[in-house]
Amino acid sequence: MNFDFSLIISSIPQLLEGLGLTFQLWIFSGIFGLLLAIVLMLMRISGKWYLSAPAMVYIYIFRGTPILVQLFIIYHGLPQVEFIRESFLWVVLREPFGCGILALTLNTGAYVSEILRGGVKGVPKGLGEAGAALGLSKMHRFIYITTPLAVRLAIPAYSNDVISLMKSTALVSTITLLDMMGIARVIVSETYAPYEIFISLMIIYLVITWATQKAFALFERRMSRHIIQ
Amino acid sequence: MESLTGWWDDFFWGSLVVVQVFFVSLVLMVFFGLLGSAAKLSNSKALQKIANGYTIVFRGTPEILILLLFYFGSAITLTAIVNVFDPSIKFVDIDPFWAGSIAIGLIVGAYATETFRGAFLGVDPGQIEASRALGISNFNTFVYIRIPAMWRLALPPFGNHMLSLIKDTALISVIGLQETMFVAEQATANTGEPFVMYLAVGIIYLSFSTIITLTVMGYEKYGNKHLEVGK
Repeated sequence: MNFDFSLIISSIPQLLEGLGLTFQLWIFSGIFGLLLAIVLMLMRISGKWYLSAPAMVYIYIFRGTPILVQLFIIYHGLPQVEFIRESFLWVVLREPFGCGILALTLNTGAYVSEILRGGVKGVPKGLGEAGAALGLSKMHRFIYITTPLAVRLAIPAYSNDVISLMKSTALVSTITLLDMMGIARVIVSETYAPYEIFISLMIIYLVITWATQKAFALFERRMSRHIIQ
Repeated sequence: MESLTGWWDDFFWGSLVVVQVFFVSLVLMVFFGLLGSAAKLSNSKALQKIANGYTIVFRGTPEILILLLFYFGSAITLTAIVNVFDPSIKFVDIDPFWAGSIAIGLIVGAYATETFRGAFLGVDPGQIEASRALGISNFNTFVYIRIPAMWRLALPPFGNHMLSLIKDTALISVIGLQETMFVAEQATANTGEPFVMYLAVGIIYLSFSTIITLTVMGYEKYGNKHLEVGK
């Protein structure tokens, strides 16, 4: 066994070919997941049991099971169900890419909705009351007072979840997609040089994580620019 | 549901493997977490750097990547070592159970490092000073004052780490451990009913998560029994 540095250099461009797919999965499921999370969060804080109870059950199920299981149920399991194959969903579920995005979206939506709820709950009550005293409607209070403050409170936790979503995209390599992880597994099976290939890939993922953290730190600073330290 | 007939015992043994991996990696996670937080809180710059590197790498890369690196890396290293003594042996690998448990323990240990560090810093320094004033030894201060006070702060995030642990065990099927995901795969190949099989796995994991959540909730109440919030 010897450590081959030239293999690291030559494998990085190959691995980066999967970067596009990793980013597509990450960005699409990140956006859809955020939208789902907002809906779930609004259901949860609505105060109506017939809205909050389904949201709670959903969050409980998707946070309580491994994302790999969710991915396999969607990719391997759902095509078995007759009416899904005949519905419009089949367009998405026919491709592993659609299954990957669906699984990641459903999973991250559950986690992010809890983060957003934490942000909303963290906004001091007095501000809403002040808005009410000024005659703002409930909707206006939520949009102009609660939301900007809640966003700021939720950023640190949300950035962690965005990073864990990025890490979760690596799981699509188990459903035949060739993202960076999938390409790495193919190269390892050909060269049998796990250290070189996997360590190169670790470096790529670490750079993405680092850049994401920096970007969110900047965003947080921008959102906090009115606060006197 | 009738397609599950004949597979119940396989799922049971698979679940047992999940429980075993969970407990082994739980011990490792606490060990690495305490070690990491001790290194981060120590005065030695070198130890701090090592601990920082550990948390950055293990929190910043996908779990499945670390798992595969561990499994295939250890196999190739072991094969090379064995070949020194006996060149006729072509391939040696370590048990996926141990490769998986160690990898998961290390990954979640990196998260636990931050939790424990924060919790140790959250202990009121007045308590430590008081114990010193009472002449309690450093070791006893650590065991009887620091740990119980820190534990209370660390418990809620620690519960989340345990949930991550149990969910990460599903990944070990990728390197061939015969746990529930692996059973579901085999059952699918036999019955052609993947939906039912993976749903069964989902239900198994959901019940594990529920047990952990309820245990942590109960324990939190117990840990806070001296405080106002616990009443």
